[in-house]
Amino acid sequence: MLLRYIARRILYVIPQLFGIILVSFLLVKLIPGDPAVMMLGPTASEQSLAALRDKMGYSKPLWQQFTYYIGAAVHGDFGSSWQTTRPVTEDLLQRFPATLELVTFGLLAAIAIGFPLGVAAARLQSGPVHKFAGYYRLVAGAIPDFWLALVLIFVFYTRLGWSAPPLGRIDMAVAPPKTITGSLVIDSLIVGDVGALSSSFGHLVLPVLTLGIVNAGPILKMTQITMTRAFSSEFVRYAEMFGLPRRVVLRQAVRAALPAVVTIISVLYGFLIGGAVLVEIVFSWGGAGQYAVQGVLNADVNPVLGFVVFSAVLSLIIYLVVDLIYFALDPRTRG
Amino acid sequence: MSRDGTGISSPDRRDVLKRGASLAGAVALPGGVISNAIAATSTTLVIAAPATPQSLDWNFDVSLGTFEAIAALYDNLLEFKKIPDPKQPGASREDIADHPDMPAGIAVQGKLAESFELDPAGKFIRFQLRQGIKSNWGNELTAEDVKWTWDRKFGLGAIGAFFLSTLGLENKEGVKVEGKYTVTINLDHPNPLLAKLQPNLYAPIIDSTKCKQESTTDDPWARKFLENNSAGFGPYRLNQLQRGQQAVFKAREDYYRGKPAMDTVIFREVPTSATRASLLQGGAVDIAQYLQPLEIIKLRSERGVAVDSVNASFMIWLELNAQIEPFGNPKVRKAMNFAFPQEQVLKTVFQGLASPLNGCMPNIYPGFTDKFWTYKYDPEMAKALLKEAGLSSGFKTSIAYNAGDPVQEPIAILYQTALRNIGVELELKKIPPATFYNAVSERKQPIIFYVDSPWCPDVGYSMTLYFNSKSFVNYSNYKNDDVDALIRDTARTNDQAKRLTMMTNAQQTVMSEAPWVFIAYPGYHMTRRANLKGFTYYTSNNIRFQDFSREA
Amino acid sequence: MSSVARSGLVPPTVPRAPKGSEARFQRLRFFFAILRARPSFAVGYGIVATVAIIALLAPWLAPYGPVTADPSVYLLPPGGNHLLGTDGTGMDIFSRVLFAPRIDLAIAIVGTFVSATIGGGLGALVGYYEGQQTWRRAVSTMVMRSADVLQAFPVFVFAIALVAVFGQSVKSIILAVAFVNTPIYLRLMRIQVRSIRQLRYVEAAYVAGASDLAILRRHVIPNSIAPLVAQLSVNIGWSVLLTAGLSFVGAGVVAPTPEWGSMVAMGFQNVVTGQWWPSVFPGIALCITVVGFGLVGESLEVLLDPERRHVLSGSLR
Repeated sequence: MLLRYIARRILYVIPQLFGIILVSFLLVKLIPGDPAVMMLGPTASEQSLAALRDKMGYSKPLWQQFTYYIGAAVHGDFGSSWQTTRPVTEDLLQRFPATLELVTFGLLAAIAIGFPLGVAAARLQSGPVHKFAGYYRLVAGAIPDFWLALVLIFVFYTRLGWSAPPLGRIDMAVAPPKTITGSLVIDSLIVGDVGALSSSFGHLVLPVLTLGIVNAGPILKMTQITMTRAFSSEFVRYAEMFGLPRRVVLRQAVRAALPAVVTIISVLYGFLIGGAVLVEIVFSWGGAGQYAVQGVLNADVNPVLGFVVFSAVLSLIIYLVVDLIYFALDPRTRG
Repeated sequence: MSRDGTGISSPDRRDVLKRGASLAGAVALPGGVISNAIAATSTTLVIAAPATPQSLDWNFDVSLGTFEAIAALYDNLLEFKKIPDPKQPGASREDIADHPDMPAGIAVQGKLAESFELDPAGKFIRFQLRQGIKSNWGNELTAEDVKWTWDRKFGLGAIGAFFLSTLGLENKEGVKVEGKYTVTINLDHPNPLLAKLQPNLYAPIIDSTKCKQESTTDDPWARKFLENNSAGFGPYRLNQLQRGQQAVFKAREDYYRGKPAMDTVIFREVPTSATRASLLQGGAVDIAQYLQPLEIIKLRSERGVAVDSVNASFMIWLELNAQIEPFGNPKVRKAMNFAFPQEQVLKTVFQGLASPLNGCMPNIYPGFTDKFWTYKYDPEMAKALLKEAGLSSGFKTSIAYNAGDPVQEPIAILYQTALRNIGVELELKKIPPATFYNAVSERKQPIIFYVDSPWCPDVGYSMTLYFNSKSFVNYSNYKNDDVDALIRDTARTNDQAKRLTMMTNAQQTVMSEAPWVFIAYPGYHMTRRANLKGFTYYTSNNIRFQDFSREA
Repeated sequence: MSSVARSGLVPPTVPRAPKGSEARFQRLRFFFAILRARPSFAVGYGIVATVAIIALLAPWLAPYGPVTADPSVYLLPPGGNHLLGTDGTGMDIFSRVLFAPRIDLAIAIVGTFVSATIGGGLGALVGYYEGQQTWRRAVSTMVMRSADVLQAFPVFVFAIALVAVFGQSVKSIILAVAFVNTPIYLRLMRIQVRSIRQLRYVEAAYVAGASDLAILRRHVIPNSIAPLVAQLSVNIGWSVLLTAGLSFVGAGVVAPTPEWGSMVAMGFQNVVTGQWWPSVFPGIALCITVVGFGLVGESLEVLLDPERRHVLSGSLR
């Protein structure tokens, strides 16, 4: 039954993917800039430019180009980037683990900040903690992440010299560990490489802190709202009346509140895959979002398309996983 | 470096961690294959640059990263002798002055070539190659390599074509193999640059044996191969190239001049200059390239960091497109110069690190003259000129600038305010760095920034680049028949004295017609760790990894 | 007046408000009472009002021109003639910070309103027709699927692409903001409309023969609009952040237009060399403004929801 649900969801996803590719294709084709000139340089002759355009298919009608693109994409070929001269698939496979590592740890930090605060704010309906949670929510959502990154770099690197330089994921002289999951920290842990672990962890601190601080807000808010509702719900009051220990009651309430919180985390996750771009840029992270932005700004069309498709697929997978978690958490949605 | 100002240098936590980590670690290749561990960081040179090399095929690519790579991967037939820099103690530079007593009239010596013979009339040059020189693929240097390299220029055109036309080399039979290690270049007309062009960064010799193996019927000149690999006789070989991230170079044990002191070079892309400066300050990199003036000044006072400032061939200017009105009128162009707050820009944007551009070619090249510099900031004069041109009510125009060059936007903003005072409305157009060069060569902008330097230290060469109406690099569309004639004659005679006179006349005309708004000579500022020695300035404005060594 | 109102059928959940100036006065007093009870709301309205006033009166409030470069005073630290210091080309930061809301707010407000109108309108239609005849439902489904597709886009990259397509100008940024926000309003309105249209009085109006459009216009939309208005305020704040982000990356406003994000970007290089003020002050102004709009949004959420309003007014006594 579960398999049927998954199969149904995947079937449902295909027209969506198609729509996404179609819209981005049309959009990206509208970006001004002649890729043939970019690739061959201004010293190229008109002949070689025309030959290249023919080869890349740019002289064909739009719908033909689209069909060709879809055909190639289904086989995993998203074309090449004229900036890196490498296939987009290769570039993305190299950069997406960086983005995912950053976003995952950033989200974990956001949860670590937002969730306890939300629970505390729901438990204590007034007092300094509640007030602080309220202010934090507001301010965190208002801070521009690139600005916060800048301030953190200024304070912790330039002035205090505590943190690692804001360049990439690992110290240049340190060898990255063998690629297992793609996450430098996790891979170093698995392999047991202390040097790589400390270096990659050190480089993660500031960007993760930035993302964590800024994105804790929505998590805090959702936690607070649903926990408040849970605390005032009948079954919790019933449990309290019965004299069940605080911790047990808390756990029940948390369980009831979890689905909504998980939803917001998944929404954030999907958003951050493309939304962590500015932080990636400030820290020269080498992530996929940075790659896509470079593509748009320099009229390098294929990376943008590839990134959009990849991140859309990722988001859809995340939503599917979340729905499955829902199944597990909330018996009401089963059957 | 301790920050407590006691003057005692103590290794900080970062240094210890780094050294420890590097002793334990190694440089990884793509795919996770680990190569041999590097012995110590003192023989690893780490460079923070704005961008990694694009294509390594110098026949087509003029990106900054490629310049640095080519200098290490390839060698030339001849090179300029080195002298200590007159302005910066500890640094060296090429000796590009005229030396009438030396062969060829310049201070060149053999590099890949053991010796050379230049025809006094300037119609041929003969090279005797050194024997036993191996490329990074193990193939020996022979005359065939030289021939193939020049044939490639004929075959592919583009930048190669520029060299051919500069020399007046019209067909490939002009390059003759006369023996296993002897090769000549023969011209129909005398040309003064036969020897002077050889040290040019983009005139090195390719390993033709390897390239022939890599070529196909569709790709007879190994374009695909040379885009991502090197086949040359230089001191380094390419270990890894991840565009957008880093390039790694390894010193060649079998380099004919001995292995360079720096065994490994990590060329890392760091797009923001502020980050590059931070990295240098913190000791994470040895060299930070292309920093902003304020950053350079701040680094001067940092302990552990040194700044070498030398005169350079770089110039920065605004192209006034003669084919877009109102810049077809020389009076308007002169007015634009009188309205430009040059001194202010030099003080605030360049922080005094640059000198005024008071001529139309590099002031370090023989033949330069500044005696025709008549402009200064004079808004009244500008207004009067505009009135003479019939534009007393001003006009509207736009300026395009490179988003990646941090000095251009402030200059544009300052110019905008200054132009407002004479009734000219200036709209700013920001162009992303990767497409900026295309915007320049398209010649569709009325005003656009350009930063460049002619690499060959020759007055005729410099003038023809920008002011010959047929030159590809003449982005201002400047056309003056007299100047064209002078340039043409200068290219056809070996008589240096005569050439200097002709080019002085040309400079006079050009300066009075103001095809550019003259901004500055930015100079070359090498920001490096204090214990790094060996910086040498080249007219191609790039560093050569092989020059560097570390102080004990 | 529609036949429904004349027939005396009154929607049960919307409280009857007294008419006339008496009513307005009462509402105002109520509003201020709320503000006193919830000082944070007051702060929010205060911030928004201040920013709006600054935007309108900037030419008179600012000591210097916003795009006048004066290289003789470049990079002066805050104090003296220049309250917040000057940037790398000598432009006064205080004046630029004061002029920036004109652009930022204009873009955010126009963009958000466009998206609310289009998104809300579409959402109302979709929500209303979803339960009806086949072809309308098919269209509704298509619209919803399109909204899904639009929302699956990485927001920031999408916005940059839009600006790249339409060229760097205020208009294209507004378009980008509108595009990116429309699905939000579409969904909000749809959910609201779906629940409202089930209500008896709407059924009654339908039975009484009122046209679909009339029903939508008079009953459904006015009662669905509350959450959208609250969302508007929050969205405006978020759109300001988006504009700032776009400018930071170089796909936003044209230099030297004063805009907070662009100012942060321009000053970015100076922070490392120790001149922190060109970037930090615009960032703070940005923060405060967005916080203000967020607070207003929160207050609207409470005030426009009858249930919560009652709870709140109850707690006042």
